[in-house]
Amino acid sequence: MEEVDKILIHALRQSGTDVAEDIQSVKQFTSELIVEAVVRCVRVINPALGGGLSPSLPPGMSARFRVGMGLAQACQDLGYKGEIGYQTFLYSNEPEIRSLLMFLVEKLPRESAEASDQPAGKSVVLQRAIAAKIKAQLALPWLPPNCRLPLLCKTQSAGPSLSFRAQPLSLPYSTKSTGKAASKELRAYQREVLLPVTAQPSHQGAVVASLLEQHASELSAAQEWDSEWNSQGLLSRLTPEEYRSRKMTRLHKRIEEQLRSATSEPSPESSSGVPGSSSDLAQLLLSFQGSAPGDHLLPKGTHFTHTQKFTFTQDPGVLVEQMAAVASSMPLGGQSEGEVQASQQAELASLEEQLQQVALRIDRLTDHMKQMNLTVAQVTNELKDRELGNQEKEDTMQVKKQTVDLLPDAENNLAKLQMLVEASAKRVVSLAAQWEKHRAPLIDEHRRLKELCTNQDMESSRQLSEIKDLHEKIRESAEKAKKKETFYKQLISELENLPKDVSRSAYTLRILEIVGNIKKQKEEITKILSDTKELQKEINNLTGKLDRTFAVTDELVFKDAKKDESVRKSYKYLAALHENCNQLIQTIEDTGTILREIRDLEEQIETESGNKTVANLERILEDNKAIRAENLALASKVREG
Amino acid sequence: MELSDSVQKGLQSIADPSLFDLKSFTVLIDIAFRSLLSAHADHGILADPVLEHIERVLVKQCHAAATTCILEMVKQNADKSTISSCLEDLPFDAERIEIFFKSYQNHKEELEGVLASLGSQLPHINDVSWRLQYHMKNGHVHKVNEPFYLLSLNVENGGLEGSAKDINFSCTVEQLQDLVGKMKDAAKSLEKATQM
Repeated sequence: MEEVDKILIHALRQSGTDVAEDIQSVKQFTSELIVEAVVRCVRVINPALGGGLSPSLPPGMSARFRVGMGLAQACQDLGYKGEIGYQTFLYSNEPEIRSLLMFLVEKLPRESAEASDQPAGKSVVLQRAIAAKIKAQLALPWLPPNCRLPLLCKTQSAGPSLSFRAQPLSLPYSTKSTGKAASKELRAYQREVLLPVTAQPSHQGAVVASLLEQHASELSAAQEWDSEWNSQGLLSRLTPEEYRSRKMTRLHKRIEEQLRSATSEPSPESSSGVPGSSSDLAQLLLSFQGSAPGDHLLPKGTHFTHTQKFTFTQDPGVLVEQMAAVASSMPLGGQSEGEVQASQQAELASLEEQLQQVALRIDRLTDHMKQMNLTVAQVTNELKDRELGNQEKEDTMQVKKQTVDLLPDAENNLAKLQMLVEASAKRVVSLAAQWEKHRAPLIDEHRRLKELCTNQDMESSRQLSEIKDLHEKIRESAEKAKKKETFYKQLISELENLPKDVSRSAYTLRILEIVGNIKKQKEEITKILSDTKELQKEINNLTGKLDRTFAVTDELVFKDAKKDESVRKSYKYLAALHENCNQLIQTIEDTGTILREIRDLEEQIETESGNKTVANLERILEDNKAIRAENLALASKVREG
Repeated sequence: MELSDSVQKGLQSIADPSLFDLKSFTVLIDIAFRSLLSAHADHGILADPVLEHIERVLVKQCHAAATTCILEMVKQNADKSTISSCLEDLPFDAERIEIFFKSYQNHKEELEGVLASLGSQLPHINDVSWRLQYHMKNGHVHKVNEPFYLLSLNVENGGLEGSAKDINFSCTVEQLQDLVGKMKDAAKSLEKATQM
């Protein structure tokens, strides 16, 4: 019982009951302590039920009685099956209290165990870590900057901070991953010139940012490729390299198409004097973006196009101005400002006129050239047609010429021709036969191969689906493994954080000991049982024997008794002896039962005396007196009132 | 912990005893940590006599992989079990893991400082001084008669210089109350955050 009491007291302390240190067993519990313990347990188990119960016993007797009744009701609501009432709390006896507390404590820890069973996610762990960090930092006092120790400096002053600026890094293995042999120059460059990655960024602060950025981009690219390969690449039934090259050619084609369509579109700007390159570029970009190119320039373009446009459109004007300035500055001598300006204006005007004329002429000439080009193309086409016609006519002419040559000896030639025709017809027939001969097996072969092909197709699609399934499974199991690993780690950390005051091993040892004891006792019980059985058997045997011998003796003596008087007497004695013996046995049995009853009664007396009956009775009497006094007081109050 | 293919390849070369013996391995790991922590870009950091006999491209590649891996580990606050399970896959032997972990522990705090200094930080308020003023009238209204506060927050700037400077502003009583309430809220939510 000591073990049970220790566990109970430990559990009660955990649930918030203030059990004094010197209390070692349930026997020492006072009524106040019992009430407090039960109320705390009920509150933990069911807060709604325990909310209305006060953990301390009131002084008034009737109030005490009410508290006891409420507690008993609450325990019954929780599912306590044993006998319970106000007397359990007010006039406690040890075994009842123990069983009640055991019931409550058994109900207690399950809830907290359930709560800790749920796997806390990664975020919860992180949040806990953050909370712990903040707590630690809050616990430190703030110090002015001059008094800070280096340890405090880290948390209390931010120190100089750098913004996250990544710069592209050139990594030596980027060529290796493509699988192609790097060119000799590239190798030489990497060996001799390329700086180590930490020396590449222009200032040291960017090193960390650049490295992290580089790694993140590599990871995300790999992930994207993975998902694309799993969704589309596998279905295309190509090797990764083939898939990559096909995608590359597809993209190339698309770019080419876009470029072609963009260049073939007539640019509205090209007819004017301004070079059309900027607008072309703009339109090109626009068509890449997928929106329809309008007749006007882009309303808003990229910074790049803007600068392009700006520089290109500005150029001619600036050039003209500069040229004018240079030209006018030459002849200047001591002329006055106005004259100079006037002459410059005139010069400018004339030059602009010239420029316009030249531009016009250029335009005209371009048009002319275009027309000429067109006519040249037409003429070339015509020439080709004519040449083709010529060829045909020459062919017909040759045939006709041959026929004409054959005409003079018509009979012979006809015969010859017929022979030839027949021979060729025969040859055709034989060839056809031969072809048939060849064809049949070839067709068979073809069919066979086709079938094989379809089979293989089916097989490969089956394998493909299998591969997909496998991929899925692999991913799932990897995820599961990861989850389990984190869970395992978390549990380990939780285990480390658990309070160590309950020595598990001691408990298990004791439990094992108890189990061993029980086993031993069981063995003894079975031994005693078998002994009893044997005894019973022996008794039965003996009774049977006795009965049989008595019957035989009785018969023998009875037979003789008819003849002999003395034998008759002895028969009477025999009967008396038998009866007396029976009586004796009966008496012995009765003594046994009485002894057993006595032992039972003694046990009962012991339990009753263990229940502090006398003390409880005395207390009941006292309480009864107190209630009477209270009642009297109340009655007098009523009378007074 | 996830590492990209190129980093894994580099680390595998580092783990290969036929490419890097134990001495050059130690030197390379040391160089990787030093290059991350040094204040100036050192172009010749890989020119160590121990690494002289190894192919230059390989050294550069491994150096890049090692630095990236170290940064990732510090970023994720990796503990010993994570690091060793990660490196065992590559496969590092126990001795190399031990060497790596030792230098990792030695430099972890400094590296954390480097990582923590990335990004922008708000200035810390060190002190506050205030003055109550009374606004009697202004150019538009003849009678205003309102009190207002002039506040001067002494902040320790987390900026580039780490210098202390003041932030000055004026506010009415309501605004000041609002400010104080917000600050109390902030303090309270900080308290709440600790009670997870």
